[in-house]
Amino acid sequence: MDATTAPHHIPPEMSQYGEENHIFEIMQNMLEQLLIHQPKDPILFMINHLQLDNDNVPKIVILGPPASGKTTIAMWLCKHLNSNLLTVENLIAKEFSSLAAAARKHYQINKRVPSMQLVRLIQDRVSEEDCVRRGWILDGIPETREQALMIQTVGITPRHVIVLSAPDTVLIERNLGKRIDPQTGEIYHTTFDWPSESEIQDRLIVPVGISELETAGKLLEYHRNIVRIFPSYPKILKVISADQPCVDVFYQALTYVQTNHRSNAPFTPRVLLCGPMGSGKSLQAALLAQKYSLVNVCCGQLLKEAVADKSKFGEVIQPFFEKDMAVPDSLIMKVLSERLNQQDCIQKGWVLHGFPRDLDQALMMDSLGYKPNRVFFLNVPFDSVLERLTLRRTDPITGERYHLMYKPPPTTEIQDRLLQNPKDAEEHVKLKMDLFYRNATELEEFYGQALTINGDQDPYTVFEYIESGIINPLPQKVP
Amino acid sequence: MEAGGSREREARNYLEKHQIMELLKYLTSVLLFIRPEKPREYLIAILEKLRIAKATGVAFPFFMDHSNIAAMFDMMDSSKKGTISFVQYKEALKTLGLCTADEVLKDDGHAITLDKFKSEVNKRTQEICGRTKGKGSGSCQTAAEQPRLH
Repeated sequence: MDATTAPHHIPPEMSQYGEENHIFEIMQNMLEQLLIHQPKDPILFMINHLQLDNDNVPKIVILGPPASGKTTIAMWLCKHLNSNLLTVENLIAKEFSSLAAAARKHYQINKRVPSMQLVRLIQDRVSEEDCVRRGWILDGIPETREQALMIQTVGITPRHVIVLSAPDTVLIERNLGKRIDPQTGEIYHTTFDWPSESEIQDRLIVPVGISELETAGKLLEYHRNIVRIFPSYPKILKVISADQPCVDVFYQALTYVQTNHRSNAPFTPRVLLCGPMGSGKSLQAALLAQKYSLVNVCCGQLLKEAVADKSKFGEVIQPFFEKDMAVPDSLIMKVLSERLNQQDCIQKGWVLHGFPRDLDQALMMDSLGYKPNRVFFLNVPFDSVLERLTLRRTDPITGERYHLMYKPPPTTEIQDRLLQNPKDAEEHVKLKMDLFYRNATELEEFYGQALTINGDQDPYTVFEYIESGIINPLPQKVP
Repeated sequence: MEAGGSREREARNYLEKHQIMELLKYLTSVLLFIRPEKPREYLIAILEKLRIAKATGVAFPFFMDHSNIAAMFDMMDSSKKGTISFVQYKEALKTLGLCTADEVLKDDGHAITLDKFKSEVNKRTQEICGRTKGKGSGSCQTAAEQPRLH
């Protein structure tokens, strides 16, 4: 209670629960909706909002120049995510709405809909039951900065904005081959996307306004407008090149739309590094501990420290060390628990490496409640491991460690007296690698959310990959 | 931009008028303390209870009731003198959400006793009740009655 003399200790279960259930994000979304709508009865509003449970429903805007394939991508995404597609055409085609009828008249005369009417139509559509439940994808709206601001003002905010881009020449050429199926509204192309059924082929008509001049005119207007729309969506915008096969664009769009953005939720990293001997675990752990003030917990080191301190655990472990036998799991677990329960580990987070080495150890750790929230597997091919380990040497006089390839000794005098640690001998390394790989598949299955990283690169590149894995939210698997 | 500024002000006024931040803080604390399996359903249940409490004026079981206040006092008064220091008193009020960080409280030089602490907590809770639920409502009266029970 008294935070003036003794700091509060927040139990780790609370932060684990908060992370797993995304409490922060739930509260943040609720607060956003409250502020946008400012209802007279906030409690009723909150109850309804929670019951809807639509925080993660797709809310996407797809923008791009004519002939970039926007509508195709939008339709594919709709089908895949089971969401609703909103375009200018289908908004004004709405029946039983005077607003839509007025918009239609305007469109027939001027070929565009006034922004006010368009935004009103969008507002009505988005508040309908199916959009609330399954989300929406806006295709080609907003067209101008004015529209973007108006949509924002009424409280419609997308979570992902995709902008397709391609060089103008490609687009003009592409537009010439555009064909439309009048019955289904699907867009085909003479070169890239020709329908296989001959009856569709016969039906296809050439759409209006695809001559080079007209396309160039539309492109000019598009470029003028899109630049001013970018600043409205700073962190959620992604530009995808449309100058590649449709399938590639689609998959890039799909993966992007399914990622969550980084949130401000409090996050204590509990990182587990797995990999064979020589994959760089200790180095990466040391780098992480230094940069993010995490506690570096190396299992082997812990045991050696216990023996050196002659603590009560140390005395039990010592005979195993003397006989060169593996220390039993339960004993390791006890030493590890003691370390992980200390205040600095709980508060700052930890980086663990060297444990667990097989499924039983992993299960034991999990049952005691030490669940890492990021797991990394460092993959290094056998030859690289051999190179890294068998060339290690130590100078017996100064104690300095060298590597014959990466950090060679400066003088031949030192080189002559260098010795190799028997643990770095080739046979020993081979043995340890085999042991690791035997258990690796089970471990990978157990830690389903683990990220695999190529460890065969320079340490700082690997470090950057690990960093981005920790900082970004865990990716969801694309089905 | 003027338009942006006034909307922001509107939003802030809205938050203050309905005490949204305190409510969200309370909800988050309850969730993290109880850690239910299904956080959404639990939140809905609490909000329903709150709604009923508001409508019927029945006292809502806030996180801290009077036995908690006495326990809190004991925790701060580690030497069992019967009083706590002014700094501790102010920190405790902040923790309970009953005073803001820059409010200046009168320090009359005497240490704060349990009775003074309790009466101040009650007074402030009543004020908040009065602001959000209306002065004549039942929960205010219940809150005012409670000191008499001790």
